[in-house]
Amino acid sequence: MAERRPVTVVSGFLGSGKTTLLRRLLGAGGGGGAGVAVVVNEAGAVGLDHHLVRQVAERVSLVGGGCACCERRDDLVRTLRELLDLDQRGIIPRLRRVVIETSGLADPAPILFTVTTDPVLRHHFAVDGVLVAVDALQGPEQLERHEESRKQISVADRILVTKTDLVEPAAVAGMTTRLRELNPAAEILRAGLDVSLDPALLEVGASGRAAPEVPRSRHRPTGALALTFDRPVDWIAFSVWLSLLLHAHGEEVLRVKALLDVAGVGPVAVNAVQHVVHRPEHLVAWAGAEPVSRLVMILRGLPVERVERSLRVFLEAA
Amino acid sequence: MCVLCGYLVTDLHWTEARFDQDGVGSAAHETPRRRQRLARIRIVDRVLRHYGLGVHDDWGATSYVVSNRKGASQLVEHLGQLWPAAERLAGQPLDPLDEGLLEDLAGG
Repeated sequence: MAERRPVTVVSGFLGSGKTTLLRRLLGAGGGGGAGVAVVVNEAGAVGLDHHLVRQVAERVSLVGGGCACCERRDDLVRTLRELLDLDQRGIIPRLRRVVIETSGLADPAPILFTVTTDPVLRHHFAVDGVLVAVDALQGPEQLERHEESRKQISVADRILVTKTDLVEPAAVAGMTTRLRELNPAAEILRAGLDVSLDPALLEVGASGRAAPEVPRSRHRPTGALALTFDRPVDWIAFSVWLSLLLHAHGEEVLRVKALLDVAGVGPVAVNAVQHVVHRPEHLVAWAGAEPVSRLVMILRGLPVERVERSLRVFLEAA
Repeated sequence: MCVLCGYLVTDLHWTEARFDQDGVGSAAHETPRRRQRLARIRIVDRVLRHYGLGVHDDWGATSYVVSNRKGASQLVEHLGQLWPAAERLAGQPLDPLDEGLLEDLAGG
């Protein structure tokens, strides 16, 4: 089977600069837009974003009139199948990547679910990762006031802080600390207009497979469980535990990211967004020097200590 | 609706992923596959016992059979289907954070 086409989900709160980011990443001579289809989900009646993106992207498909959540996944399926059809018939240049831009309030999890479970799509597309734009100007307030904004940060693989040219460096540093608390596993980068952006930033997977950073114990963020293991992890016990945890508390487990030593040659990368578990990947080698298992879980309202104890009891019981 | 509910499952469930891909489909592949299933059944059975249930392999080692003490049983393909089936048979939710369950598991 041909290699699956990577899908990057671009998310971010209203006004966080997603469209500007996409314009910069896909346009302006960098060649980043070649072979990239952009699927815009337009929540409003006026497809303003659609027109803006179309100026730089080669192909833009507008998904429905609502948001690309569970209710709308059929539209997303149809759009991606159409793109696949055009690609396979050679009507469009070879599809190198699909970028799905979500509306400001959309939850990215159903999009991942759709691509991962559709009987056709899952053989032709693979979710590469979630890129989230957050605005250095309005971001701090949005993060405090809006649960949706915090949730978007939680599911990110890579966070691009926009408008960093409009605030003091100290403000950017403070915001980065807050983002790190909310999502210890994501890569956080500045993306203001004073920074040049590499089109490769859309290729989230490369960093998605990197070992999540496990903060030192005294800086442990609330709501996140970050662990390292000094022994190989029993894959059977771990997967039984995680599947039961997600069954019972999937809504409260916003994100799971792990690189586990399962006593094989290379590590196993585990990546889950709420109930949606990506196919675990066996990597050929450890990227860093030390083969240490790392696990980061972002939890909402679950007792972190109890979750950790539960995991340890399951691993011991194996 | 989610993958854990068994929605459109014609693909391998993620918990069944194996990382020794040599000889998939061959006779040499069968032994480690069965060994892995047995290990999974052992730990799932210990969890289910806390709720008055049990699990065993079907004859072909392709499905799991979950049953309760009244003799009711259900065939499932993977853990994504097993936990909801177990909850129906137990008549209560299964929770890995349940202190009683953790004490049972820790106590051997």
